[in-house]
Amino acid sequence: MCSACGFPAAPGHWTEAGAANAHERLRGRFRRAQVLQRVLPSYNLNVHETNDILGIQLSTLTGSHSIVSHLDDVWALAEKVNGTPVDPLDRRFIGEE
Amino acid sequence: MSDTDGRIRLIILGGYLGSGKTTWLRHQLHDGHFQHALVIVNEAAETPIDDALLGGSDSLAVLAGGCVCCDAKQDLIDLLRRIADDRSRAASTDSSLDLIVLETSGLADPGAIIEAIRSDPVLVYHILVSEVIVAVDGLHGMSQLRSEPLSRHQIEVADKLIVTKTDAVEQNELLLLLATLKAMSPGAVMSGAVKGLSHPLPEFSNAIPETLQDFADQELKAPISPTRLYLDDSIDWTAFTVWLSALLYVRGNDIVRVKGVIRTPAGRLLLQTVRKIVQSPEILPEHRDTREDNIVVMIGRGFTHAQLTKSLRHFVSSSGL
Repeated sequence: MCSACGFPAAPGHWTEAGAANAHERLRGRFRRAQVLQRVLPSYNLNVHETNDILGIQLSTLTGSHSIVSHLDDVWALAEKVNGTPVDPLDRRFIGEE
Repeated sequence: MSDTDGRIRLIILGGYLGSGKTTWLRHQLHDGHFQHALVIVNEAAETPIDDALLGGSDSLAVLAGGCVCCDAKQDLIDLLRRIADDRSRAASTDSSLDLIVLETSGLADPGAIIEAIRSDPVLVYHILVSEVIVAVDGLHGMSQLRSEPLSRHQIEVADKLIVTKTDAVEQNELLLLLATLKAMSPGAVMSGAVKGLSHPLPEFSNAIPETLQDFADQELKAPISPTRLYLDDSIDWTAFTVWLSALLYVRGNDIVRVKGVIRTPAGRLLLQTVRKIVQSPEILPEHRDTREDNIVVMIGRGFTHAQLTKSLRHFVSSSGL
Protein backbone atom coordinates (compact mmCIF):
# COMPACT_ATOMS: atom_id res chain seq x y z
CA MET A 1 0.00 0.00 0.00
CA CYS A 2 1.28 3.47 -0.76
CA SER A 3 2.73 5.57 2.01
CA ALA A 4 0.51 8.54 1.18
CA CYS A 5 -2.74 7.12 2.39
CA GLY A 6 -2.07 3.54 3.50
CA PHE A 7 -0.78 1.92 6.61
CA PRO A 8 2.66 0.31 6.59
CA ALA A 9 2.87 -3.26 5.36
CA ALA A 10 4.60 -5.82 7.55
CA PRO A 11 7.91 -6.92 6.01
CA GLY A 12 8.81 -10.49 5.03
CA HIS A 13 6.56 -13.40 4.13
CA TRP A 14 2.98 -12.72 5.20
CA THR A 15 2.93 -15.66 7.61
CA GLU A 16 5.75 -14.05 9.60
CA ALA A 17 4.01 -10.70 10.02
CA GLY A 18 2.87 -11.46 13.57
CA ALA A 19 6.34 -11.17 15.10
CA ALA A 20 7.61 -7.77 16.22
CA ASN A 21 11.17 -8.73 17.12
CA ALA A 22 13.82 -11.44 16.73
CA HIS A 23 12.71 -13.25 19.85
CA GLU A 24 9.14 -13.55 18.63
CA ARG A 25 10.31 -14.60 15.17
CA LEU A 26 12.32 -17.43 16.73
CA ARG A 27 9.38 -18.43 18.90
CA GLY A 28 7.20 -18.35 15.78
CA ARG A 29 9.57 -20.71 13.96
CA PHE A 30 9.32 -23.33 16.69
CA ARG A 31 5.58 -22.90 16.94
CA ARG A 32 5.30 -23.29 13.16
CA ALA A 33 7.30 -26.54 13.32
CA GLN A 34 5.04 -27.76 16.12
CA VAL A 35 1.86 -27.09 14.14
CA LEU A 36 3.31 -28.62 10.97
CA GLN A 37 4.39 -31.71 12.87
CA ARG A 38 0.78 -32.19 13.92
CA VAL A 39 -0.34 -32.16 10.30
CA LEU A 40 2.41 -33.49 8.05
CA PRO A 41 3.18 -37.00 9.40
CA SER A 42 -0.14 -38.22 8.03
CA TYR A 43 1.15 -36.96 4.68
CA ASN A 44 4.43 -38.89 5.04
CA LEU A 45 6.56 -35.91 5.98
CA ASN A 46 8.34 -34.83 9.16
CA VAL A 47 9.46 -31.36 10.19
CA HIS A 48 12.63 -30.33 11.99
CA GLU A 49 13.48 -26.99 13.51
CA THR A 50 17.03 -26.48 14.69
CA ASN A 51 17.34 -22.71 14.61
CA ASP A 52 20.67 -22.88 12.74
CA ILE A 53 19.06 -23.23 9.31
CA LEU A 54 16.86 -20.45 7.94
CA GLY A 55 14.39 -22.55 5.96
CA ILE A 56 11.85 -25.15 6.99
CA GLN A 57 13.46 -28.59 7.15
CA LEU A 58 11.41 -31.52 5.94
CA SER A 59 12.15 -35.20 5.58
CA THR A 60 10.24 -38.01 3.94
CA LEU A 61 9.75 -41.47 5.40
CA THR A 62 12.36 -42.78 2.98
CA GLY A 63 14.91 -40.42 4.46
CA SER A 64 15.24 -37.74 1.82
CA HIS A 65 15.67 -34.25 3.21
CA SER A 66 14.58 -30.89 1.84
CA ILE A 67 14.86 -27.32 3.05
CA VAL A 68 12.19 -24.96 1.77
CA SER A 69 11.90 -21.25 2.34
CA HIS A 70 8.25 -20.79 3.25
CA LEU A 71 4.96 -22.51 3.86
CA ASP A 72 3.74 -22.44 0.27
CA ASP A 73 6.75 -24.60 -0.61
CA VAL A 74 5.87 -27.01 2.21
CA TRP A 75 2.43 -27.61 0.73
CA ALA A 76 3.87 -27.95 -2.76
CA LEU A 77 6.36 -30.56 -1.52
CA ALA A 78 3.65 -32.46 0.36
CA GLU A 79 1.60 -32.58 -2.82
CA LYS A 80 4.60 -33.85 -4.78
CA VAL A 81 5.40 -36.58 -2.23
CA ASN A 82 1.81 -37.77 -1.85
CA GLY A 83 0.34 -37.02 -5.23
CA THR A 84 -2.42 -35.16 -3.42
CA PRO A 85 -2.28 -31.85 -1.56
CA VAL A 86 -2.75 -31.36 2.19
CA ASP A 87 -6.39 -30.38 2.56
CA PRO A 88 -7.27 -28.86 5.95
CA LEU A 89 -10.89 -29.81 5.27
CA ASP A 90 -9.97 -33.46 4.77
CA ARG A 91 -11.90 -35.75 7.07
CA ARG A 92 -8.76 -36.65 9.04
CA PHE A 93 -8.77 -33.06 10.35
CA ILE A 94 -12.48 -32.44 10.80
CA GLY A 95 -13.52 -35.89 11.98
CA GLU A 96 -16.39 -36.39 9.56
CA GLU A 97 -17.38 -39.73 8.18
CA MET B 1 -31.82 23.75 -12.93
CA SER B 2 -28.89 21.38 -13.01
CA ASP B 3 -28.65 18.40 -15.28
CA THR B 4 -29.61 16.16 -12.37
CA ASP B 5 -32.93 17.98 -11.81
CA GLY B 6 -31.95 18.57 -8.23
CA ARG B 7 -31.63 14.87 -7.57
CA ILE B 8 -28.70 13.42 -5.66
CA ARG B 9 -26.21 11.80 -7.97
CA LEU B 10 -25.26 8.27 -7.05
CA ILE B 11 -22.06 6.68 -8.26
CA ILE B 12 -22.02 2.91 -7.89
CA LEU B 13 -18.57 1.43 -7.43
CA GLY B 14 -18.72 -2.30 -8.07
CA GLY B 15 -16.44 -5.14 -9.04
CA TYR B 16 -15.79 -8.70 -8.07
CA LEU B 17 -14.44 -9.82 -4.68
CA GLY B 18 -10.91 -8.54 -4.22
CA SER B 19 -10.87 -6.54 -7.43
CA GLY B 20 -9.54 -3.43 -5.67
CA LYS B 21 -12.65 -1.29 -5.12
CA THR B 22 -11.68 -0.04 -1.66
CA THR B 23 -8.05 0.54 -2.61
CA TRP B 24 -9.13 2.65 -5.57
CA LEU B 25 -11.72 4.60 -3.61
CA ARG B 26 -9.26 5.19 -0.79
CA HIS B 27 -6.88 6.88 -3.23
CA GLN B 28 -9.63 8.89 -4.86
CA LEU B 29 -10.64 10.25 -1.47
CA HIS B 30 -7.03 10.89 -0.54
CA ASP B 31 -6.56 12.85 -3.75
CA GLY B 32 -9.59 15.00 -2.97
CA HIS B 33 -12.09 13.46 -5.36
CA PHE B 34 -15.71 12.94 -4.32
CA GLN B 35 -15.40 15.81 -1.86
CA HIS B 36 -18.46 16.28 0.33
CA ALA B 37 -19.86 13.01 -0.97
CA LEU B 38 -21.53 10.58 1.36
CA VAL B 39 -19.73 7.26 1.01
CA ILE B 40 -21.83 4.15 1.60
CA VAL B 41 -19.92 0.91 1.98
CA ASN B 42 -21.75 -2.37 1.64
CA GLU B 43 -20.20 -5.62 2.76
CA ALA B 44 -21.83 -9.00 2.37
CA ALA B 45 -20.32 -10.21 5.62
CA GLU B 46 -21.50 -8.96 8.98
CA THR B 47 -18.02 -7.74 9.82
CA PRO B 48 -17.17 -4.50 8.09
CA ILE B 49 -13.46 -4.13 7.29
CA ASP B 50 -13.39 -1.66 4.45
CA ASP B 51 -14.73 1.24 6.49
CA ALA B 52 -11.54 1.17 8.57
CA LEU B 53 -9.65 2.00 5.39
CA LEU B 54 -11.85 4.82 4.19
CA GLY B 55 -11.08 7.39 6.85
CA GLY B 56 -10.55 10.01 4.12
CA SER B 57 -14.21 10.50 3.41
CA ASP B 58 -16.26 13.36 4.88
CA SER B 59 -19.06 11.06 5.88
CA LEU B 60 -19.40 7.33 5.76
CA ALA B 61 -22.24 4.90 6.22
CA VAL B 62 -21.78 1.15 6.44
CA LEU B 63 -24.31 -1.44 5.38
CA ALA B 64 -22.96 -4.77 6.58
CA GLY B 65 -24.50 -8.20 6.85
CA GLY B 66 -25.91 -8.70 3.39
CA CYS B 67 -25.42 -7.75 -0.20
CA VAL B 68 -27.46 -4.69 -1.21
CA CYS B 69 -28.39 -6.13 -4.57
CA CYS B 70 -30.24 -9.04 -2.96
CA ASP B 71 -30.45 -9.87 0.82
CA ALA B 72 -30.02 -6.32 2.05
CA LYS B 73 -31.69 -4.50 -0.82
CA GLN B 74 -34.37 -3.14 1.47
CA ASP B 75 -31.73 -1.80 3.87
CA LEU B 76 -30.22 0.20 1.05
CA ILE B 77 -33.60 1.51 -0.08
CA ASP B 78 -34.44 2.50 3.51
CA LEU B 79 -31.10 4.25 3.95
CA LEU B 80 -31.41 6.15 0.67
CA ARG B 81 -34.98 7.15 1.53
CA ARG B 82 -33.82 8.51 4.89
CA ILE B 83 -31.03 10.44 3.17
CA ALA B 84 -33.46 11.84 0.60
CA ASP B 85 -35.93 12.73 3.31
CA ASP B 86 -33.33 14.51 5.46
CA ARG B 87 -32.12 16.44 2.46
CA SER B 88 -35.62 17.53 1.50
CA ARG B 89 -36.29 18.79 5.02
CA ALA B 90 -33.03 20.70 5.07
CA ALA B 91 -33.39 21.95 1.51
CA SER B 92 -34.09 25.54 2.38
CA THR B 93 -31.05 25.91 4.59
CA ASP B 94 -28.53 23.32 3.53
CA SER B 95 -28.58 21.14 0.49
CA SER B 96 -24.90 20.48 0.26
CA LEU B 97 -25.28 16.73 -0.22
CA ASP B 98 -25.41 16.21 -3.92
CA LEU B 99 -23.29 13.10 -4.36
CA ILE B 100 -23.34 9.61 -2.91
CA VAL B 101 -20.68 7.01 -3.66
CA LEU B 102 -21.90 3.48 -3.02
CA GLU B 103 -19.17 0.89 -2.79
CA THR B 104 -20.96 -2.41 -3.28
CA SER B 105 -19.92 -5.77 -1.93
CA GLY B 106 -17.95 -7.92 -4.34
CA LEU B 107 -21.00 -10.15 -4.68
CA ALA B 108 -23.31 -7.40 -5.92
CA ASP B 109 -24.73 -6.96 -9.37
CA PRO B 110 -24.87 -3.17 -9.91
CA GLY B 111 -27.65 -3.71 -12.42
CA ALA B 112 -29.92 -5.03 -9.68
CA ILE B 113 -29.19 -1.94 -7.54
CA ILE B 114 -30.01 0.43 -10.40
CA GLU B 115 -33.20 -1.51 -10.99
CA ALA B 116 -34.16 -1.28 -7.31
CA ILE B 117 -33.64 2.49 -7.21
CA ARG B 118 -35.44 3.15 -10.47
CA SER B 119 -38.40 1.08 -9.47
CA ASP B 120 -38.78 2.69 -6.05
CA PRO B 121 -41.59 5.25 -6.24
CA VAL B 122 -39.84 7.66 -3.86
CA LEU B 123 -36.20 7.29 -4.77
CA VAL B 124 -36.76 7.75 -8.46
CA TYR B 125 -37.49 11.43 -7.75
CA HIS B 126 -34.53 11.91 -5.44
CA ILE B 127 -31.65 9.81 -6.69
CA LEU B 128 -30.06 9.64 -10.10
CA VAL B 129 -27.58 6.87 -10.76
CA SER B 130 -25.01 8.93 -12.61
CA GLU B 131 -22.24 6.44 -13.17
CA VAL B 132 -21.37 2.79 -12.65
CA ILE B 133 -17.67 2.26 -12.09
CA VAL B 134 -16.51 -1.35 -12.01
CA ALA B 135 -13.09 -2.49 -10.85
CA VAL B 136 -11.71 -5.51 -12.68
CA ASP B 137 -8.94 -7.62 -11.20
CA GLY B 138 -6.13 -7.60 -13.77
CA LEU B 139 -4.69 -10.77 -12.34
CA HIS B 140 -7.81 -12.88 -11.82
CA GLY B 141 -10.29 -11.06 -14.08
CA MET B 142 -10.01 -13.45 -17.01
CA SER B 143 -10.56 -16.58 -14.92
CA GLN B 144 -13.50 -14.88 -13.17
CA LEU B 145 -15.08 -14.09 -16.54
CA ARG B 146 -14.70 -17.72 -17.56
CA SER B 147 -16.18 -19.18 -14.40
CA GLU B 148 -18.40 -16.63 -12.62
CA PRO B 149 -21.60 -15.33 -14.24
CA LEU B 150 -21.68 -12.46 -11.74
CA SER B 151 -18.38 -11.04 -12.95
CA ARG B 152 -19.86 -10.78 -16.45
CA HIS B 153 -23.02 -9.03 -15.19
CA GLN B 154 -20.87 -6.48 -13.37
CA ILE B 155 -18.88 -5.61 -16.48
CA GLU B 156 -21.87 -5.43 -18.77
CA VAL B 157 -23.43 -2.55 -16.82
CA ALA B 158 -20.25 -0.52 -16.33
CA ASP B 159 -19.82 3.01 -17.64
CA LYS B 160 -16.22 2.99 -16.52
CA LEU B 161 -13.92 0.00 -16.07
CA ILE B 162 -10.85 0.26 -13.90
CA VAL B 163 -8.46 -2.58 -14.53
CA THR B 164 -6.38 -3.05 -11.37
CA LYS B 165 -3.11 -4.83 -10.56
CA THR B 166 -1.91 -4.31 -14.13
CA ASP B 167 1.69 -4.47 -12.95
CA ALA B 168 1.24 -8.03 -11.68
CA VAL B 169 0.01 -9.62 -14.87
CA GLU B 170 1.84 -10.70 -18.01
CA GLN B 171 1.40 -8.46 -21.02
CA ASN B 172 -0.33 -11.09 -23.20
CA GLU B 173 -2.82 -11.96 -20.49
CA LEU B 174 -3.53 -8.29 -19.88
CA LEU B 175 -4.11 -7.67 -23.60
CA LEU B 176 -6.50 -10.64 -23.73
CA LEU B 177 -8.41 -9.32 -20.71
CA LEU B 178 -8.62 -5.77 -22.09
CA ALA B 179 -9.83 -6.94 -25.50
CA THR B 180 -12.40 -9.24 -23.90
CA LEU B 181 -13.67 -6.43 -21.65
CA LYS B 182 -13.93 -4.10 -24.63
CA ALA B 183 -15.93 -6.69 -26.56
CA MET B 184 -18.29 -7.21 -23.62
CA SER B 185 -18.78 -3.56 -22.77
CA PRO B 186 -17.80 -1.50 -25.84
CA GLY B 187 -19.13 1.78 -24.46
CA ALA B 188 -17.25 1.69 -21.18
CA VAL B 189 -14.28 3.96 -20.65
CA MET B 190 -11.31 1.90 -19.55
CA SER B 191 -8.40 2.90 -17.39
CA GLY B 192 -5.75 1.14 -15.36
CA ALA B 193 -4.74 1.35 -11.72
CA VAL B 194 -2.00 -0.09 -9.56
CA LYS B 195 -2.54 0.07 -5.80
CA GLY B 196 -5.14 2.75 -6.35
CA LEU B 197 -2.93 4.99 -8.49
CA SER B 198 -3.72 5.62 -12.11
CA HIS B 199 -1.59 3.49 -14.41
CA PRO B 200 -1.60 3.63 -18.22
CA LEU B 201 -3.05 0.67 -20.09
CA PRO B 202 -1.13 -0.78 -23.02
CA GLU B 203 -2.42 -0.37 -26.56
CA PHE B 204 -4.73 -3.33 -27.19
CA SER B 205 -6.68 -2.47 -30.33
CA ASN B 206 -5.03 -5.37 -32.17
CA ALA B 207 -5.58 -7.91 -29.41
CA ILE B 208 -8.17 -10.61 -30.03
CA PRO B 209 -10.89 -11.01 -27.38
CA GLU B 210 -11.70 -14.42 -25.96
CA THR B 211 -15.07 -15.87 -26.88
CA LEU B 212 -16.55 -16.71 -23.50
CA GLN B 213 -18.46 -19.94 -23.17
CA ASP B 214 -22.13 -19.81 -22.34
CA PHE B 215 -22.85 -20.91 -18.78
CA ALA B 216 -25.99 -22.74 -19.83
CA ASP B 217 -24.14 -25.98 -20.56
CA GLN B 218 -22.01 -25.92 -17.47
CA GLU B 219 -22.70 -27.46 -14.13
CA LEU B 220 -24.01 -24.79 -11.80
CA LYS B 221 -21.62 -24.04 -8.98
CA ALA B 222 -22.74 -23.51 -5.42
CA PRO B 223 -23.29 -19.84 -4.62
CA ILE B 224 -20.50 -17.89 -2.95
CA SER B 225 -21.29 -16.89 0.60
CA PRO B 226 -19.50 -15.28 3.55
CA THR B 227 -18.55 -17.07 6.78
CA ARG B 228 -17.24 -15.43 9.94
CA LEU B 229 -14.56 -17.08 12.06
CA TYR B 230 -13.93 -15.85 15.58
CA LEU B 231 -10.32 -16.28 16.62
CA ASP B 232 -10.23 -16.64 20.38
CA ASP B 233 -7.11 -16.26 22.52
CA SER B 234 -6.09 -19.87 21.99
CA ILE B 235 -5.49 -19.24 18.30
CA ASP B 236 -2.11 -17.67 17.68
CA TRP B 237 -1.04 -15.97 14.47
CA THR B 238 1.52 -18.67 13.59
CA ALA B 239 -0.91 -21.57 13.85
CA PHE B 240 -3.57 -19.59 12.02
CA THR B 241 -1.26 -18.77 9.12
CA VAL B 242 -0.05 -22.38 8.80
CA TRP B 243 -3.70 -23.40 8.54
CA LEU B 244 -4.71 -20.62 6.17
CA SER B 245 -1.73 -21.09 3.86
CA ALA B 246 -2.58 -24.79 3.52
CA LEU B 247 -6.22 -23.99 2.91
CA LEU B 248 -5.42 -21.40 0.23
CA TYR B 249 -2.89 -23.70 -1.41
CA VAL B 250 -5.48 -26.40 -2.00
CA ARG B 251 -8.73 -24.41 -2.12
CA GLY B 252 -7.64 -20.95 -3.23
CA ASN B 253 -10.00 -21.01 -6.19
CA ASP B 254 -13.00 -21.63 -3.95
CA ILE B 255 -11.99 -19.37 -1.07
CA VAL B 256 -12.31 -16.27 -3.15
CA ARG B 257 -11.65 -13.68 -0.45
CA VAL B 258 -10.41 -13.57 3.14
CA LYS B 259 -10.50 -10.35 5.16
CA GLY B 260 -9.95 -9.62 8.80
CA VAL B 261 -8.09 -7.69 11.46
CA ILE B 262 -6.02 -9.90 13.75
CA ARG B 263 -4.26 -8.88 16.94
CA THR B 264 -0.64 -10.05 17.12
CA PRO B 265 2.43 -9.11 19.13
CA ALA B 266 3.41 -6.98 16.10
CA GLY B 267 0.17 -5.00 16.28
CA ARG B 268 -3.24 -5.14 14.62
CA LEU B 269 -2.71 -6.74 11.24
CA LEU B 270 -5.10 -6.32 8.34
CA LEU B 271 -5.13 -9.63 6.50
CA GLN B 272 -6.50 -9.73 2.96
CA THR B 273 -6.38 -12.43 0.34
CA VAL B 274 -7.76 -12.78 -3.16
CA ARG B 275 -7.81 -16.44 -4.17
CA LYS B 276 -4.27 -17.71 -3.59
CA ILE B 277 -2.69 -14.26 -3.38
CA VAL B 278 -2.10 -12.89 0.11
CA GLN B 279 -1.40 -9.21 0.45
CA SER B 280 1.37 -8.23 2.87
CA PRO B 281 -0.56 -7.58 6.08
CA GLU B 282 -0.91 -3.90 6.88
CA ILE B 283 -0.27 -2.73 10.41
CA LEU B 284 -3.32 -0.76 11.52
CA PRO B 285 -3.21 1.95 14.17
CA GLU B 286 -4.18 0.94 17.69
CA HIS B 287 -6.61 3.65 18.62
CA ARG B 288 -9.48 2.67 16.35
CA ASP B 289 -12.54 0.71 17.35
CA THR B 290 -11.37 -2.82 18.15
CA ARG B 291 -14.72 -4.59 18.48
CA GLU B 292 -14.26 -6.30 15.16
CA ASP B 293 -10.73 -7.51 15.86
CA ASN B 294 -9.92 -11.21 15.65
CA ILE B 295 -12.82 -11.91 13.34
CA VAL B 296 -11.96 -13.24 9.93
CA VAL B 297 -14.44 -13.23 7.07
CA MET B 298 -14.02 -15.99 4.52
CA ILE B 299 -16.01 -15.66 1.31
CA GLY B 300 -16.29 -18.60 -1.01
CA ARG B 301 -17.91 -21.95 -1.64
CA GLY B 302 -17.41 -25.60 -0.77
CA PHE B 303 -17.04 -25.28 3.00
CA THR B 304 -19.14 -24.80 6.09
CA HIS B 305 -18.49 -22.80 9.22
CA ALA B 306 -18.32 -26.01 11.27
CA GLN B 307 -15.73 -27.58 8.98
CA LEU B 308 -13.52 -24.51 9.09
CA THR B 309 -13.74 -24.27 12.86
CA LYS B 310 -12.97 -27.95 13.46
CA SER B 311 -10.09 -27.90 11.03
CA LEU B 312 -8.56 -24.76 12.51
CA ARG B 313 -8.98 -26.20 15.99
CA HIS B 314 -7.08 -29.33 14.92
CA PHE B 315 -4.17 -27.30 13.58
CA VAL B 316 -3.99 -25.09 16.66
CA SER B 317 -4.49 -27.70 19.33
CA SER B 318 -0.87 -28.72 19.65
CA SER B 319 0.22 -27.45 23.04
CA GLY B 320 1.78 -24.00 23.14
CA LEU B 321 5.45 -23.39 23.77
